[in-house]
Amino acid sequence: MFESTVLYSILAVAVTVVICFLISTLLPGIERKYIHARIQQRIGPPVTSPGIMAPIKFLYKKNIKPSSPVPGLYKILPIVCFLVVLCLLIALTPYAFAIPALASLVAVVGLLKVEEICYVLMGALSKSIMSVRMPFPDRVKGAAHLNTTRSFIEDISARRSLRMITYGSFPMYLALFAPVTQARSIFLQDIVAYQQAHGPFLFTVAGGIAAIVFFIGYMIILNEYPFSIIKAKCDVIEGPYMEYASKYRSIVFITRGFLMFTLGVLFSVLFIGIPPTIFSPTILINIFVVLVFVFMMGIFSAFTPVFTNRQLLPTIIGATLLGILAIVLGLL
Amino acid sequence: MEEKVPRSNIIETEIPLGTVHPAALEPYRVRLFVEDEIVQEAEITIGVNHRGIERIMEGLPVEKGNALTEKICGICSNSHVWNSCRTAEIGLDIEIPERARYIRVIMGELERLHSHFLYLAHGCETVAHETFSMRVFYLREIVMELLAMIGGNRVQYGCPIIGGVRPRCDLDEAKLLRLKTDMDKIEEGLTGFADRFLADSILISRITGVGVLPTKQAIRLAVTGPTLRATGVARDLRTTMYEYDDFDFNVVTQPDGDVKSNLLMRVLESFESIKIIRQAIANIPEGKVVNRDWEMFDTDMIESYIEVPRGTLYHSYYLESGRIRHCIIRTPSMANIAAMQYACIGDHITDAQLSIVQCDPCFTCTDRAIEIIRR
Repeated sequence: MFESTVLYSILAVAVTVVICFLISTLLPGIERKYIHARIQQRIGPPVTSPGIMAPIKFLYKKNIKPSSPVPGLYKILPIVCFLVVLCLLIALTPYAFAIPALASLVAVVGLLKVEEICYVLMGALSKSIMSVRMPFPDRVKGAAHLNTTRSFIEDISARRSLRMITYGSFPMYLALFAPVTQARSIFLQDIVAYQQAHGPFLFTVAGGIAAIVFFIGYMIILNEYPFSIIKAKCDVIEGPYMEYASKYRSIVFITRGFLMFTLGVLFSVLFIGIPPTIFSPTILINIFVVLVFVFMMGIFSAFTPVFTNRQLLPTIIGATLLGILAIVLGLL
Repeated sequence: MEEKVPRSNIIETEIPLGTVHPAALEPYRVRLFVEDEIVQEAEITIGVNHRGIERIMEGLPVEKGNALTEKICGICSNSHVWNSCRTAEIGLDIEIPERARYIRVIMGELERLHSHFLYLAHGCETVAHETFSMRVFYLREIVMELLAMIGGNRVQYGCPIIGGVRPRCDLDEAKLLRLKTDMDKIEEGLTGFADRFLADSILISRITGVGVLPTKQAIRLAVTGPTLRATGVARDLRTTMYEYDDFDFNVVTQPDGDVKSNLLMRVLESFESIKIIRQAIANIPEGKVVNRDWEMFDTDMIESYIEVPRGTLYHSYYLESGRIRHCIIRTPSMANIAAMQYACIGDHITDAQLSIVQCDPCFTCTDRAIEIIRR
């Protein structure tokens, strides 16, 4: 009996994750084709292009050795990111609730932090030709400051990623802990059970405020405009991802769509109380929430310029204060 | 506004960007000297696209030289060939038919419109506001089609020739009507864009006070064109050009010299260009479009300055036996490069490319000298 339950759970998790993964590959295409392109009154790419065809294309490209002091580690990092997102999604399924160490907010926060730390490492380990290594004679007679310390643009990305870890993603973590104030437990099982008994946390005042904060945090974690300071095209270009080619770039593309999906599911678990399982029609609600987030992010990013510290800091402070307000209201 | 001074004593790190960078439309190297991501000094180096056009022109028949000048720039190609022909016309004392003069003005102003629209789109793209960028590109498309209608091409129109304009660029009633209709469309679209642009408080807060170039500094650095006018100096060479004698237009200025002033400057100047084109359509005289009644003779140095979309353009020739003996071309970006370096100072590194873009660079056209480094 026990063995068949375990087998059933493993099978259910596997099927759920595979279905979720397949849907997630469409999300970047939906964002670009049906939101950005429609807002900008252009045709846009085919919906399968950014999330499916581009990764497949990159899989078959010839790989280059990345310019990095530790190329092996640099190449592993996208795989680590993908595995982290995979673990996160598994943790959100109801079958993982039996493992409290995995299905708790501490594990969720920890996994998201690993994802963020990967960006720091990627930035620090990438030394692309776009800045210092460009063979251009700019330090010649008459040039200014011939003896300065030179920095790669990816180094700036790494420093910015570190900053985002310390305060940038703070609103997201506050929003994650807001439902705890009502469920009085950090375990996902209890949070879900509380909401199934008392109604979704989203439809309370504290939940509404926390949802706004979660959305801001969602965009920050996904490095989407206007918060994409670690890969702003106007200075650091692709930032941490600069040296990835071939299958590694393919994994980067796939992970982005997968993270978009997983964060949407995280919201539906924490704020609506519906965990994803392929054997229940409620998974349609999970997918609906994911699509709502993608649409909102697409609209918001299409109408905003990239922020610098001057705009970023007040936004994060504001979101953090809102997050604190949500927690206080939840406690009251 | 206080003058900006490089704070070389607190430089922490150097961040070189380029020569290839997606935020730059052209290849150039910029070394940003920063302290905690704030630019304290900047150094721009060009020279990647040196094509030696001045040297190639030496010895060419003047007509061929004129055609070659059109290849200097893909944005202000008409301005180059116009000024090149103008230089020869001044030296050879050639009178231009009135109708040709009007057509040249129409082409010049259409080129100003498409250059300013490209600037606006590039500026919005650099702050990562793709939506505004796309909307301006749609407006620019109308202008590009008009240029293709008159000149037969979207980039190299080949309109001015010595003595007037090419006969195929003459404007019949149908073309004038389309010009008139499309000016209405552009004006409507540009008004809508300007309204939305100014109403976008996030974007306005993002570009206000960024890349400031103080007036005194702009004058000292001999900045030209809209970049100078965006610092509050009402200097426009069109007010002294005989081609514009019949036209009534305002010299637009903006007070602050920052990115916002520069972007608004181009928007407002585009309305003035539309006004000029409408006057030209309404009053274009009948008659021939080219004067072929002229003779070639040797000249001393002939100089011509005109106002082009990005500032003041200078051409000079010596003509000998119908050929160009010596030629100098100076594009507006030559004067504006120093301004770009100063505009970056004091701003975040994310704004560095924006501060350079706000001065409307055209580095590929500016590459004139090459330095051989012996190792």
